[in-house]
Amino acid sequence: MDRREALKKTALAAGSAALVPSLFSLLQSCQQKPRLSWEPIFLSVDQAELISTLVDTLLPKTETPGALDVKVDIFIDLVFAKLFNKEGQKAMITEMNRFDAFCSEKYRSKFIELSTEDRKEFLKEEESESGKYNGKVWGTAVGVQKPVGFYRTIKSLALWGYFSSEEIGKNVLNYDPIPGEYLGCIPLSDVGNTWSL
Amino acid sequence: MANYNIDAKKNMTYDAIVIGSGISGGWAAKELCEAGLKTLVLERGRIVEHVVDYPTMNKDPWDLELRGALGPEDLKKHAIGARAGFVGANNEHFYANDEENPYTEVKPFLWVRGHQMGGRSLLWGKQCYRWSDLDFEANAKDGHGVDWPLRYRDIESWYTYVEKFAGISGQALGLPQLPDSHFLPPMELNCVEKDIKSRIEKEFPGRVMTIGRAAHLTEPLNGRGQCQFRNRCDRGCPYGAYFSSNAVTLPAANATGNLTIRPYSIVNSIIYDDKKGKATGVRIIDAETNEHIEFYAKIIFCNASSLSTTQILLNSTSERFENGLGNDSGELGHNLMDHTYRVGAMGRVEGYEDNYYKGRRPNGIYIPRYVNIDEKTKTDKFVRGFGYQGGGGRGNWSAGANQEQFGAEFKDSLMKPGPWEFFITGFAECLPYHENKVTLDKENVDKWGQPTLAIDCEFKENEKAINRQIKADAVEMLEKAGVKDIVGFDNEHEPGYGIHEMGTARMGRDPRTSVLNGTNQIHAAKNVFVTDGACMTSSSCVNPSLTYMALTARAANHAISELKKKNL
Repeated sequence: MDRREALKKTALAAGSAALVPSLFSLLQSCQQKPRLSWEPIFLSVDQAELISTLVDTLLPKTETPGALDVKVDIFIDLVFAKLFNKEGQKAMITEMNRFDAFCSEKYRSKFIELSTEDRKEFLKEEESESGKYNGKVWGTAVGVQKPVGFYRTIKSLALWGYFSSEEIGKNVLNYDPIPGEYLGCIPLSDVGNTWSL
Repeated sequence: MANYNIDAKKNMTYDAIVIGSGISGGWAAKELCEAGLKTLVLERGRIVEHVVDYPTMNKDPWDLELRGALGPEDLKKHAIGARAGFVGANNEHFYANDEENPYTEVKPFLWVRGHQMGGRSLLWGKQCYRWSDLDFEANAKDGHGVDWPLRYRDIESWYTYVEKFAGISGQALGLPQLPDSHFLPPMELNCVEKDIKSRIEKEFPGRVMTIGRAAHLTEPLNGRGQCQFRNRCDRGCPYGAYFSSNAVTLPAANATGNLTIRPYSIVNSIIYDDKKGKATGVRIIDAETNEHIEFYAKIIFCNASSLSTTQILLNSTSERFENGLGNDSGELGHNLMDHTYRVGAMGRVEGYEDNYYKGRRPNGIYIPRYVNIDEKTKTDKFVRGFGYQGGGGRGNWSAGANQEQFGAEFKDSLMKPGPWEFFITGFAECLPYHENKVTLDKENVDKWGQPTLAIDCEFKENEKAINRQIKADAVEMLEKAGVKDIVGFDNEHEPGYGIHEMGTARMGRDPRTSVLNGTNQIHAAKNVFVTDGACMTSSSCVNPSLTYMALTARAANHAISELKKKNL
């Protein structure tokens, strides 16, 4: 709660402060600032850059594709545009600004301008502060779901966008659209990765 | 396949009219057509031809623009369906437009509808359980509601009859409180379910866990294919592997040449002829042209779904029945029931890390009722009982949202299946309360000028007491089964969530206290049959659809024999 209050108080001030980047952040930003290769339909370019950086930090490229390889940032922009109602869109932008404002307060830099290490450090804190989803039974949360923070929402959307993408669903996970049978107990080694559907 | 005759204008008079084409209407149509009756099925929505009209049946998540999610406009259109939690881009075309079909929630009540040929038989959960005399005698024994005018022996052969044609898979157990169906081979339990089953059965003598009994073919039947374990049933099954009117009963009715099905036909009322002392036909409004048309028949089957059937009967007024057709008792619209639902427990199962499964089984486990089944199991906390549905499986990437990790290792870890999880959720019997009711709301009319329904229904102390035990027992069973991180839950949802709405035109022995007789005929208008959920006198704790099928086949065959004897 304290943190939420602090965020509310700092959001406006930080919003204006961010217009005058500190020397520190300018120095850092040289090598980190991402360039958008796509045109967002809902987000501003700055906001889209934040989402891109965030999902890239969450799900980076390894031997398997990263979030940006399967256009998770573009998907999240689409989700904001098409799945969120006006109220939800407004709330999301507010939360996004707070996220960056808090980052600026702490590191004197916006999230996209942080070093990789600082990004990780900042997100670790967000992990413990951003609430959790309730368990679900048949698609409905059990109990009363408390609102989760911006970070948890984006993480959840990033996972959804990533794992429901064709590349991951067909070529990385195990894709079996017509299993034809149910075998209730087989060695995991026969399957390997999780089923995609 | 198919080519349904939808040209009802050729003929305004039929032997039989069936209102509605869902689970029970499909059965009525099949039985009546096969007996040689020229039958008109009136469907308020569009034609949904098996396979041809299943546009999403083969779509993967990435084939859908928003990976299957619905935007705000669609959610507004499906506000009620979305509250139930099952509607998405994959199946929204089988859910009614809630904006165009308003009703009033005097108290919160979820009324999920499917306005198309096949109705909710395209969307149902397919769990099929016979009732027993524990259910049929319950009202008489504890005094809630009125006595059922039939017993298990009266319906047993009809259960077998519909099961042989519908195809029900399951495991025979020989339990008196849950009679076995005529079964196709059961689906398989997975390793964790087998483990939990053996632990629960050892720790709790008298309790059993079994694979769900479900209207899924586990071997081919009458030209229909067996389940391919895609778990995409609610999009329509290309194999016809689960029971729906579209895949099973309506094609059979159509094959006789006796079926006419008229889409976009909203029934306004049933025409009752005071002089003849019986119903003579049905008035409809064409949903597209707003044209008012009358069709005539010797017998009329009401299968519009529980509340819609009652809505039609309440709106069918005449000099003889000024408060609605068949409403001499004043019980029409009353005694609305559902099942409580989404109360239970879930948790994580340790071990079995090296085991997995293949296939997406559209079925779970079932724990039949074990309380109040005899003197030994009697509780003084409540009357009636409950059963559980549930299942086990391994978590996937979606669990990652809550894990306090991110980055390369985190991403790669989500490629592997997560820990095993297991849950059970109870279904409690709901008592028939006179004050749980629907009434016609003539002030609020829909876009066709039809009075809407006002629904005034709530769960009461007995249901709440059952729910408390469901939750406590669920937690205890999972604990004894070795499940970890157990979360007991009770979502305290309003009625309607179970989508098992029943009652409002109950069967009974006495015309003074019931609407229908023992063969589903309106006491004072015997050529009108009600065989959907409206007819239910009590609710049992098991899923009701199989019983609707059996009651419908039984009533249709009674109608056929009475017609032959010229009694109708």
